[in-house]
Amino acid sequence: MNLFENIKMALASLKSNKMRAILTMLGIIIGISSIIMITTLGNILRKSLTDTLNSQGGSKLVAFQISMKPDYVRDYYMTEDLITEEMIENVSKRFADDIQDIVISGGYESGKVKFNREDLDVFINGVNPGYISRTSDEIIAGRYINDKDLAKGAHVCVIGEKQALKLYGGIKEALGQRLSVKFLGQSYDFTVIGVFETKMTAMMSAMNSLNTTAADWSTDIYVPYRALTKIYGRSEETFFVYYALVNDGVDPTDFCERVRDYMNGRYYRDNDSIEIRYMTGEAEMAMMDQVMGIVSMVISIIAGISLIVGGIGVMNIMLVSVTERTREIGVRKALGAPNSAIRSQFIIESIIICLIGGFIGIIGGILLGNVAGIIVGTVAPPSAGAMVLAVSFSMAIGIFFGYYPANRAAKLDPIEALRYE
Amino acid sequence: MSKTIIDMKGIVKSFYIGTPNELEILHGLNISVPEGQFVSIVGASGSGKSTLMNIVGALDRQTAGHYSLDGIDITKIDDNELSSIRNKKIGFVFQTFNLIARTSALKNVELPMLYAGVSSRERARRAKELLELVEMSDRAGHMPNELSGGQKQRVAIARAMANDPAIILADEPTGALDSKTGRLVMDIFHKLHKEQGKTIVLITHNPDLAEETDRVITLSDGSIVSDRILNEQNGGAAE
Repeated sequence: MNLFENIKMALASLKSNKMRAILTMLGIIIGISSIIMITTLGNILRKSLTDTLNSQGGSKLVAFQISMKPDYVRDYYMTEDLITEEMIENVSKRFADDIQDIVISGGYESGKVKFNREDLDVFINGVNPGYISRTSDEIIAGRYINDKDLAKGAHVCVIGEKQALKLYGGIKEALGQRLSVKFLGQSYDFTVIGVFETKMTAMMSAMNSLNTTAADWSTDIYVPYRALTKIYGRSEETFFVYYALVNDGVDPTDFCERVRDYMNGRYYRDNDSIEIRYMTGEAEMAMMDQVMGIVSMVISIIAGISLIVGGIGVMNIMLVSVTERTREIGVRKALGAPNSAIRSQFIIESIIICLIGGFIGIIGGILLGNVAGIIVGTVAPPSAGAMVLAVSFSMAIGIFFGYYPANRAAKLDPIEALRYE
Repeated sequence: MSKTIIDMKGIVKSFYIGTPNELEILHGLNISVPEGQFVSIVGASGSGKSTLMNIVGALDRQTAGHYSLDGIDITKIDDNELSSIRNKKIGFVFQTFNLIARTSALKNVELPMLYAGVSSRERARRAKELLELVEMSDRAGHMPNELSGGQKQRVAIARAMANDPAIILADEPTGALDSKTGRLVMDIFHKLHKEQGKTIVLITHNPDLAEETDRVITLSDGSIVSDRILNEQNGGAAE
């Protein structure tokens, strides 16, 4: 009794009861397709996230921020706790060999720009020259904010491509124009010195597609942060956080530890509650990976439960099938089928139900995952490992849940079975 | 004298052994059937016919006594070997035909050869040959539900012959057929008996059919009450 004959027999028996076979497979299909879908989606998300993070400095970008010491005595920040421009200046001098760019964001205001009779929303970002390296932006006309602009607190701005097109009818045309922005109850004029274009990663475009105004307008404009400092009426800016982009070949973690120790030793030693902590891009990615891992694990557990339920469905239907075919089993035994042949006949039938269900599930999962992927803008292949796992898992379900009914069939007494009506 | 195919000595069959309901159905039967004999076993319902048939057909084991089939001692073998005996030594023909549903006539005939491990080409060749023997070649591709009762039974006989068994064991083979098709089926048995020298055991409650065979064993209440040789040419081995 060879495998091929068994498979043919099983297929014939399934064909004779198509509806039942399909309904039985449903549990397996749902379980397998959700596993495949979630792994496909996971790959898509991971790829998107990595793309996004990489376009914004990736693992070379590190952050230094003030945080509570473990033995803090107060749970609020005071002005003296904040990071000063002088501290950053000293860090960038001291670690000049390691640092490619310092990235500072100081001040963030929402305002309005008048256009015809419309009031368009803008967000005014106070930044330093290095800031562009942690965004996905690229200058396509003019220039970005430079050290001179920053030092003077010049009223210059870099605007987006869409803003340039809408306000001035062209990218080159925008350069040198005066942009009047109303915020904090007053109008301020900024001279446009550059136009940037945002290199969209898949994830960003997906997020943007949710925003209906994004089609012809983007909201961010960049100004030197000291321009805002002056508007605020302060003499210097202080920060909760600043970023650094390390040079190639510099180990980010090692760099972070050195900077942290330097800053804590020099500026925060006598602070009773506050110290500097760091965060690397890698750690950030690892954190996202971890979150995604937890999400996929939870969904996998749910899918696993549905697979078990599906498996019980398979067992149930196999028991029905064995009972229905008691007489056939009796005849087969009378014709000389050994118990093992009967057992393998039913186990193979159960495996085939599960395998067909598994394959449909894999295809369904890939389709569903990629439909989601198309919405997000990235199509990723499902992981081969997940497919192999899904196929072997559905086979295992077939064997596990098929064994009991098959064994029951194999152990039928041929005389009783032949007499069964 | 030709060799003995069925050799039964002191066959006892009891049910519910060890319980207060213990029931002895067969009370020590001695039957010896030589090769090439067409023997019929007759008896009323409850006479032990079916029980005897199950033992002859290696579907069941006797409680006591000795049974050897074609020289093989059935008493001492395990379930798997019993399957193999049924497969190679016995060809069953049932009252209700018992063809496997949704399986063509040809595939039904191939089935015992499948379990015997015959190659698919050889199976198909032999199955076609057997269907020709029972004049069912033109129905080879038909499913059982497309066949009449008589046609089904002819396919079943072809199937019983598949592995060229030592005996054909037919349990009321005409019981579900009208007299005309029943006659046709009996003619096939006679043909197999005469032309191929098959040993055939026919279990029936129809005395007329029994009279056509070489020998009639009559069972009543689990004992043989008569054992008549009708055709000396194929007989001789009776007690």
